[in-house]
Amino acid sequence: MQDRGIWFWAIILPIIFTVLFISVFTSGLNETESRQVILSIVPGYTVMFVFFIMISMAESLLKDQKIGMVARIASTPLSNHFYLLGKWIPYMYIVFIQIVILLLFGKAVYDVPMEQPLLLMMLAIFLTFMVTGIGLALSVMVKTTNMGIALTQVIALGGALLGGLWVPVDMMPEFLQAVSRFMPQYWAHQGFQDAMAGTLKMADFMKVSLVLLGIGVAGFILALLRPKQ
Amino acid sequence: MTRLLTLNGIYKNYGKKTVLSNISLQVSKGICLGLVGPNGAGKSTLIKIIASIIQDYRGELRFSDSVRIGYVPQDISLEETVSAKDNLQFFGRLYGLSGKALKERISEVLKEIGLEKREKDKVQTFSGGMKRRLNIGCAILHEPDLIIMDEPTVGIDPQSRQHIFQMVDRFREAGKTIIYASHYMEEIERLCDEAAFIDHGKIVENGTIQQILQKHAVPSIFVKGGNALPDKINEFGSVAAKNGGYIVQTNRPLDAMEFVLQFYKEKNDQLERLELVQPILEDVFFSLTGKELRD
Ligand SMILES: Nc1ncnc2c1ncn2[C@@H]1O[C@H](COP(=O)(O)OP(=O)(O)OP(=O)(O)O)[C@@H](O)[C@H]1O
Ligand SMILES: [Mg+2]
Repeated sequence: MQDRGIWFWAIILPIIFTVLFISVFTSGLNETESRQVILSIVPGYTVMFVFFIMISMAESLLKDQKIGMVARIASTPLSNHFYLLGKWIPYMYIVFIQIVILLLFGKAVYDVPMEQPLLLMMLAIFLTFMVTGIGLALSVMVKTTNMGIALTQVIALGGALLGGLWVPVDMMPEFLQAVSRFMPQYWAHQGFQDAMAGTLKMADFMKVSLVLLGIGVAGFILALLRPKQ
Repeated sequence: MTRLLTLNGIYKNYGKKTVLSNISLQVSKGICLGLVGPNGAGKSTLIKIIASIIQDYRGELRFSDSVRIGYVPQDISLEETVSAKDNLQFFGRLYGLSGKALKERISEVLKEIGLEKREKDKVQTFSGGMKRRLNIGCAILHEPDLIIMDEPTVGIDPQSRQHIFQMVDRFREAGKTIIYASHYMEEIERLCDEAAFIDHGKIVENGTIQQILQKHAVPSIFVKGGNALPDKINEFGSVAAKNGGYIVQTNRPLDAMEFVLQFYKEKNDQLERLELVQPILEDVFFSLTGKELRD
């Protein structure tokens, strides 16, 4: 939390990647095609980069373990889920701010549309909830920071690849398209893209929200089930 | 004396490894119980069971009435990037304190641990002794009846150590019960009424310090003079060289002294020192747990 470096990873690096890849992928394209690519990359890289918060979460919880803070808190009348909530909430703030800044950056620099701002806002909250929920589960399961970094990379990059954040889903082979449906990144990306373009239907919004919220809740429950010692 | 805590046949495994085996112990109200044993003996594990941090163990743990517990961990478990006061505030809230009551307790505790002038400073700027004192402070905000201290004096200077001893004395005067784990036998002798020796997860001895000393400690005499002692001294017990003289461990210390005196008289030689050495807990520690290295 006290680590200011977190803002470099959360904001600066994603912006650099976004700018870089937009310039690569739009070169030689006409105006309409460029718009399309930008509309995919801005939310896509946002969704990809929010997952890296899991490294900070794992680091923080492991440090608490290491210095005996977890044991110490377990000796107080306060129950385990208050501790987990206390750890969780600050990261929700960070991720939410991260999403807002990255989307506003897209708006300011590339003039991406934001046709359904309310839905977009709610999706941002649900994405925040999901990512930090998975992060919490991961944090209580890993034994070392390196394991946390490795797993985060698998989840963030694997999910980005399979979830269509790099290559549009309809350009992927058919069996991979089926796999995409199992990636939380896919749902978040589709939801964001549609809400930005103004084509997000209520039924789809509900579906995406349920997926995101469901995974977030599952993460918290998994974290709770894990014994303290 | 009223019983505060009863442990009956406690077992704890980590995987296949048995860390505690058939631990039975009674703790009376108002005493200071020393928990001693080599590295890896199982002291911290036992403490964590008593503090209800570890819950998957076998056996019975019973408190005679509702007991508030303060747990001082072996590690310095503090948030180092914030101030001493912030740490106390955090733990005070965990113990259910708030508002004016919390504020008052924090200033009392800051005074108790001798950090009232440094309350606003970040913990990472503190010396080892200050951190250790704050580590204790964070465990006593809710005025616990039972204070469990896991090696609270590791790595600190004599002043801080003395301060902590005086805190323990004050806890005792206030009628609190204390469980105190340490490797330092002189601390146990100074602070505790009773001691439990743990080795390889088992209690190898427990009782009052007096009882333990009487049962296990072999008295000895110290001799220093111009002469090597005659072989006949071996009949009294084992002889070892120490500080330029000899330590004779013997169950007949007075006879041994008489023998040495006689020997020097006959030689008409200078005897520098001849004294009776009081048995100390450290000797008992080695005789109960051996001298080979652990962990
Ligand atoms: N979480 C754990 N997982 C596996 N083994 C453990 C765990 N905690 C402790 N142990 C093992 O249990 C044994 C007892 O450890 P414990 O910390 O209770 O010893 P101790 O008497 O407090 O030692 P020390 O004086 O070094 O603090 C050791 O062999 C230790 O390696
Ligand atoms: Mg220990």
